[in-house]
Amino acid sequence: MDIARRVIDRVPAAAGAPRLTVVTPQRGRGAMPTSEELNELVRAVATNGDRQAFAVLFKHFAPRVVTYLVRGGTPPASAEELAQEAMVVLWRKAASFDPARAGVSTWVFTIARNLRIDRHRRGGGAFDAGDDADIDLDAHPDPAASPDDRLDARQRERRVHAALRQLSPEQARVLHLSYFAEAPHAEIARELCLPLGTVKSRIRLAMINLRRLIDATEP
Amino acid sequence: MIRHHPDDALLMALAADRLANGPAVVTAAHAERCAHCRARLRELDAVGGALLELAEPAVLAPEALARTLARIDASDTAQVDRDAAAGALPATGSRESAASLAPAPSRAEMRFLASLPVGMSWPRSLRGSTPTPWRWLGPGMRWSRVSLADDRAANVFLLRIAAGKSLPAHTHDGIELTQVLHGAFHDGRERFDAGDFDEADGSIHHQPVVEPGGECICLASVEGRVAFDGRIARVLGSLVGM
Repeated sequence: MDIARRVIDRVPAAAGAPRLTVVTPQRGRGAMPTSEELNELVRAVATNGDRQAFAVLFKHFAPRVVTYLVRGGTPPASAEELAQEAMVVLWRKAASFDPARAGVSTWVFTIARNLRIDRHRRGGGAFDAGDDADIDLDAHPDPAASPDDRLDARQRERRVHAALRQLSPEQARVLHLSYFAEAPHAEIARELCLPLGTVKSRIRLAMINLRRLIDATEP
Repeated sequence: MIRHHPDDALLMALAADRLANGPAVVTAAHAERCAHCRARLRELDAVGGALLELAEPAVLAPEALARTLARIDASDTAQVDRDAAAGALPATGSRESAASLAPAPSRAEMRFLASLPVGMSWPRSLRGSTPTPWRWLGPGMRWSRVSLADDRAANVFLLRIAAGKSLPAHTHDGIELTQVLHGAFHDGRERFDAGDFDEADGSIHHQPVVEPGGECICLASVEGRVAFDGRIARVLGSLVGM
């Protein structure tokens, strides 16, 4: 049975996929495709141009990418347009996606982030966080690369997820706002009732703690 | 051996697209040649991926998927046309035409790159940016202002200081980021070699001295008001526009 069918059967949110329409995905952990399933879906897009697999990926990611962009200050109409563009990039680059390098969610995050960066600077990329930033870095492997650099993506993502779960709710919030908010410092100060001047040290503390948790997690 | 790295908060800000262009190019210039920080950035990208998974999904227009598929079909057709056109050229021809898609460095840029010491690698994060020709700043001191392609207002510059000379002493109320591109300096506490990165806030009144044995070239970005000590340094301050 093909991957799109299997995910659709297991994940109610993907049910509308074959009709090529978008329903609001269901919340809840049971309704999420696993990272292995996401890898398989991307592989199906890469090898067979599988539109159903793409539809499942679209349903999962496009609405989340829109949330990411809108929270970051992109107007809703452009956010939807940009999310579509991100999914077009996913389709085009599916063949170069390497699950040993990054998980699909991480890959989609970097695509969306880089498109937003490009959008903000129409004059041409000043620094190398363009469309291919992640691939670019890998295209020039450092001979002195630490073993860390080549750590399998699955291990890395497991450690990151485990660390995020162990973070205190407040530090998890700090991290979330740092990535998603339009004005992270102001929003962190407001939500956590902190003087603006102390936000920076709160972010620093959250990062130190996250680092400690990631490093403490067994691969 | 790189010993001085950006901290996780700064790398996170890069991964989360939270840095202004000046700090971003300097931090990216470090990561390009630091496997350690690239590994960190991959983790921080993975944090972004995990947060994306947790995001509340927005409700899209009902035809969003159909529109995206239409865009894919349109771009696939264009791709086939391009491939066909490329196929008509000899192999070397198509490779050259592919290379010509990247903006060629301008004559001024080429001249500037030729002025750099042999063996010094030019950061890819500065691709498309224009450094002014080296300007005299004092005996053994030269500097170049770097105009970023999309952000001419960013305070990014290169300092080129001869062996044994001090960098212009200054204080600042923002953050100053420095990436050593070539040579080495000593800030009184520690040595910074090519590849090393330094973040200084206004509390540090520093006057790094270039190590004997060779000149030192640093890429720096400064935020906030900067106060230089001494006459020469005040010239730099006015030239950099602060």
